Amino acid sequence: MQNSQEFSKAEKFWMNFKLYQLWRFIVLNIKILIAVGHSKRS
Amino acid sequence: MAKVVVIGAGFAGHTAALYLGSRLGKKHDITVISNRDVFGYVPSWVWVGVGHMKPEKTVFKLKPVYDKMNVKFVHAAAKEIHPDKGDQYVLGEEVGTSKQVRLDYDYLVVAPGPLLNFAGTPGLGPENGFTHSICSLPHALKTRDAYLSLCERMKKGENVKIVIGTGHPGATCQGAAFEYIVNVHKDLVKKGLRDKADILWLSNEPAMGDFGVNGVQIKRNGHVMKSEEFLTSVFNDHGIRYQVQTGVTKIEEGKIHWQNYEGEEGTTDFDFSMLIPQFKGQPFKFVDKNGEDITSKVTNPAGFILVDGKYGLPYPELAQTPDAWPARYQNPMYKNMFAAGIAFAPPGPISKPFTNKNNLAIAPAPPRTGMVSGVIGRVVALNIADLIEKGEMTHSEPMTEMVAACIASMGDSLWDGNAVTIVMRPVVPDRKKYQNEFGRDLFTSHLEMGVSGAWMKFMLHHTFIWKFKARPGWTIIPE
Repeated sequence: MQNSQEFSKAEKFWMNFKLYQLWRFIVLNIKILIAVGHSKRS
Repeated sequence: MAKVVVIGAGFAGHTAALYLGSRLGKKHDITVISNRDVFGYVPSWVWVGVGHMKPEKTVFKLKPVYDKMNVKFVHAAAKEIHPDKGDQYVLGEEVGTSKQVRLDYDYLVVAPGPLLNFAGTPGLGPENGFTHSICSLPHALKTRDAYLSLCERMKKGENVKIVIGTGHPGATCQGAAFEYIVNVHKDLVKKGLRDKADILWLSNEPAMGDFGVNGVQIKRNGHVMKSEEFLTSVFNDHGIRYQVQTGVTKIEEGKIHWQNYEGEEGTTDFDFSMLIPQFKGQPFKFVDKNGEDITSKVTNPAGFILVDGKYGLPYPELAQTPDAWPARYQNPMYKNMFAAGIAFAPPGPISKPFTNKNNLAIAPAPPRTGMVSGVIGRVVALNIADLIEKGEMTHSEPMTEMVAACIASMGDSLWDGNAVTIVMRPVVPDRKKYQNEFGRDLFTSHLEMGVSGAWMKFMLHHTFIWKFKARPGWTIIPE
């Protein structure tokens, strides 16, 4: 069941790079708001 | 003047009460009956369970909010529902005095949350068993105390075994258990104790990252990535062992008994364990005008209320029939009764169920997360308002259309915390609308991990408490 999948060093770097994460925070908020916009209209 | 009664004040019931109060509160009679006089923000109990959040930050008193929204509040436990026309009422028992309370209604919303069926697994649970839970605030506090005393033992040099996951072959809510296991890992790393703990994920999911919703799939860089790969990477990265396709059957002191898909029986030792129990419907008694118990006509065998879904379809057919999922959450026998949140009976599982050679069904039940419960609470409330004001319902939202966003905390620190942000559209795959093997919109669906998720989780805690307190602009904040 267990395999050798792991995050790469680059992936880990971006996960913790604050400036990039600030960008992702903005993008994720917009993405979620657009996605739930569908729900709010029902 | 119409009388609307809402049973329960969790994500679904409280959301319904706020919308009902807002639309109808000044002209009609809206009453909430709940055995708890506080609202509990369940998603943050995972932080209470590791001692990172004070419990009082996750609860607030309901009555002041309801006073503001023109909603009456009765602090009582609902016991009986009399749904026959002409004399429709809820009987309850007032908390503290045990005095009988009668609430007449024209419309009823049943949203009491789940019955935590610890009795379904011998030895499970913090009250009469050997494991812990974060499914209620008292349980989360007990879990925190046990976890912190375990840390003290580790500080003295003891090596321990921690098992976190699901405590019943048909349990749901794997997401909460996932959050808890990763928060425990992060906390132990910070305390410098991680090397003293062997941590195991033990779950009834058919695959890692299934979460009872058949996993999450997204399109990234032209290829489809599954939550199975993602979660496996998380656990490998954190040194957390995992065992899925496993149904827990019994707990003894320090020992978990289980069976897996192959029908093998085994045991796992533990020093500390947090296992989510099976959820069942609250044991209300439905009584007809002749005084006869008609509960079995209104609910399914697990106690969930039957609504406008198509029940009894075998899984392969259900998986191809998105219309089988209810859209208005209205009971077919009693049209003025609605069930919201965990209270409604789903037509079947979302993940592929499995029965092993010993006839043990190992199948996660469909989760109804905070967002799903809130959306259903809103749909039900707006439809009741429609029925009262216009005579017909105009709102519907089946789980096969519903979007769910879920932020799975992996450490609460805003500097080096982490979280997985999950967006799913729809929650229940619709293979007719989305012509791919997963039945989901792979563009809208999203799966991402990073410190931005920890910021999102922190923000959600505060914005949702703002919303649930019905503070200015609460209707703008999505469920």
